[in-house]
Order: sequence, then structure tokens, then C-alpha cells
Amino acid sequence: MIYLDNGATSLRKPRCVLEAVQRAMQTCANPGRGGYGASMEASRTVYAAREAAAQLFGCRSEQVVFTPGCTQGLNIAIRSLVPPGGSAVISGFEHNAVVRPLHLLGARVTVAGRRLFDWADTLESFEKALKKHPDAAIFTHVSNVFGYIEPVDALAELCTAYGVPFIVDAAQSAGTLPVRPESWGAAFVAMPGHKGLLGPQGTGLLICRAEPKVLIAGGTGSESENPDMPAYLPDRLEAGTLNVPGIAGLGAGMRFLAQRGEELSMRESQSARYCAELLKKLDVTVYSGEHQASTVSFVPKSDCEELAQRLAGSGICVRAGLHCAPLAHQSAGTLQTGTVRVSFGADASPRQAEALLQCLKRAR
Amino acid sequence: MRSEILITFRSITYAQRAEQLLNRGNISCVLQRTPKLLAQRGCGYCLRLNARFLERAVELLRRGDVPYQRIYPVDERSAPEGAAR
Repeated sequence: MIYLDNGATSLRKPRCVLEAVQRAMQTCANPGRGGYGASMEASRTVYAAREAAAQLFGCRSEQVVFTPGCTQGLNIAIRSLVPPGGSAVISGFEHNAVVRPLHLLGARVTVAGRRLFDWADTLESFEKALKKHPDAAIFTHVSNVFGYIEPVDALAELCTAYGVPFIVDAAQSAGTLPVRPESWGAAFVAMPGHKGLLGPQGTGLLICRAEPKVLIAGGTGSESENPDMPAYLPDRLEAGTLNVPGIAGLGAGMRFLAQRGEELSMRESQSARYCAELLKKLDVTVYSGEHQASTVSFVPKSDCEELAQRLAGSGICVRAGLHCAPLAHQSAGTLQTGTVRVSFGADASPRQAEALLQCLKRAR
Repeated sequence: MRSEILITFRSITYAQRAEQLLNRGNISCVLQRTPKLLAQRGCGYCLRLNARFLERAVELLRRGDVPYQRIYPVDERSAPEGAAR
């Protein structure tokens, strides 16, 4: 099997991740709830993962909040900055994890920057929208459909210049590109644990640099007599029992990346570029450009879902359709067709791209 | 008799960061649950350490920007006494 759906989740996890999950399941009780060995072991495991995240993303450990995924982190972040009926500017390549929470709030949304791989257009459109002083700006670091790397450093500077707090969706970049909440000056940065960070599903991180609103209330093991959630992080946003085995695996994944992340990231983006070049030799429309991460989308002459199904029959795993990001397809003009998305991961190699090409030739 | 102190924290994360800072400063300490009578507004965690490290520990926490709640004297034969901070 050749797995090329790392944009959805990474499947090949390092051995250390599997071992950490198993060890946590065997040794960890509820963290922050007791003084006995198994509870303290759970607390140590969680803190070690928090520390690994703090080091990887250049923030303080208490600014690292564990979530069940990127979506929950984005919901918290959006609700913290955008009041019901408020306003937001978003990029033209946002996932439904951004679009739907804003819709739920009845927010007035301005979409800025709809041209793929065009930094000048993205920046110009954002600047125009920021002049109207929305409650927040929200942008993805990398488009989950097209791999377009948005000009996040420059967008952060623009938001700061106009005094607009902003949220970065690092769903497709955490673990593969530098994510710098502090130097960006982001209010919040949300990311999943199970994609580029190589942790298990059901894990995620929200890096908080602004005052967050509580989304879920409950027990925290602290200030139990207080009917309100604690005012301080991470307790404020971590109600209920944490996913300790998942967090243990995520911590191991982040420590693994601290050693080998750069090398893997380079291999992934090289494989994606090579894949785009190979795809261009076929009779398909390939979306590729200068600012592209490890994801490539193409539109075949046949139905994209049927093609993906045929590839699955040959042992090649890709995703087809709208990828939960209809806005991105509207921007790129692929809403009617959808795309076939090829997303490389930690095991990326040119041979994977070549195998895909061979299968596509046979599938025509 | 060895005199000890308890430094209480409102969150286990702060207590853990404090533990790390003190250990890096060669101050031995034990992370434990805060005694019920000392825990403000409910449950919490504290660090237990030798009282002779008090000043250095406070300085390390101040420099590391780790907020603590209170410091209590304690000895091996008795429960913690009143606040000392």
C-alpha cells in the first residue's frame, strides 16, 4: 500500500509514538487528580508533551492547550475573538473548521485572497479587508486542498499593523513548516496532533497568546470549589479527563520531529514537487506553484471520486472530492469537479510519486 | 529534625514547571498534592523542599516567572502551620 493521504492524517507513525501510547495505557491513571504513582506518572507524561510543544513552537508550557483536534482549537479561538454577529476576514482557502464556526456565530465574513499561489494578491486583498477593522483575521498556513503556503509572516505583520487580532490554522503545516506563534504575534494558533506532528488521532494543540473563552466546562483537578472555570491556562480550556495515551504519543511524535523534522519536511516537499512534474505529463489539470507544501491536487478527465476508488484498488490511497473545504474550491474554480489530492508524509519518496503515475496511466 | 516548606501552586502545570526549575537549580523537591486545609478554593499541587533552600527557590521562581500561591513551614512531625509568605 502507498499512503498518500497525509493531509487527512499521517498513517505511518514512528515506533516511539506507538510505544509511548502503549506505555501510557499501561502506566497512566488520571493526570492532576491524585498524588499516587500512576496519577503522577500521567501528569509527568502530559507535562513532557506540553514541554515538547513549547520547545517546538517557542512558547511557554502553560500556553499549550491540549484539544481533541484542530477543529476544537479553532472553535475556541474563533469564539474568543469573534462575538455573535461580529466580523472576520478569512483567506479564500479556509477549511470548514473555520467557515462553519463563523457561520454558526452569524459573523459577517470577508473572503480575501482567492488566487492560488499568488502572495501579492493574498496580501493586497487582506490589507484592503483589514482597513475595515474586523474583529479578527483567520488564515490557514497551508491550504489543505492545494498545498498553497500562505504568506503568513507578512499577513501577521499586516494584522499587527492594523491592530486586528488573528488566528492561524496550522493544520497542514505543524510539523513540516516553522510555526512561530510568538514572532507572528498571533492571538491563537490551532493545529492537529495526528497529521504532521505524527501523534494519534483525537489529539490537537491550541497555542494561546490571548484571553480565551471557555468552550467546554467541567472538572480540572484545580480550584474545585470555584463554580467558574479557572482563569488561568491550561486549566481554563482543559475540562475533563485528558486523552493521556494520545498526548503521550503526540509528545513522542514532537520529540521525534525535534530530531528529524527538517529532513522529513524537505523529503516531503521534494516528493510533492516531483509528483506535480510527473502529473503534468498526463492529461489532467495540475495545481502547482511556487509556494507549495507537500500536497498536490489535480483534476482528471474522469470523475475524481471514481478515479480515487480505482487507485485504491491498486493499493494507492489518495483523497478525492471537496476535502471539507468548498471555499478553497470556489476560489480555484474546482467546486463542480472536486480534485484528487495527493499528500505526502514522513515516508515520502520519489518512488511513491512514480508508482502513482504508473497507476494513473493504467487507470485512464 | 529537618525543617521543610511547602510551596503551593494553583495549577499542576505551574507546579511542574517550578519543579523543573528547582531541579535545574540543584534544589531537590517533591511534587505532591496540597493538603486539603491549605488548598485555596479546592484541590491543588505543591512542592515540598528543605527550608534552607527557601530564598533560592523563591528567586528561581521569580526569575522563571512561575506564579506560586503561598509558602508554608512544615516539619516531619507535624501538619503544615500557617502562612509564611
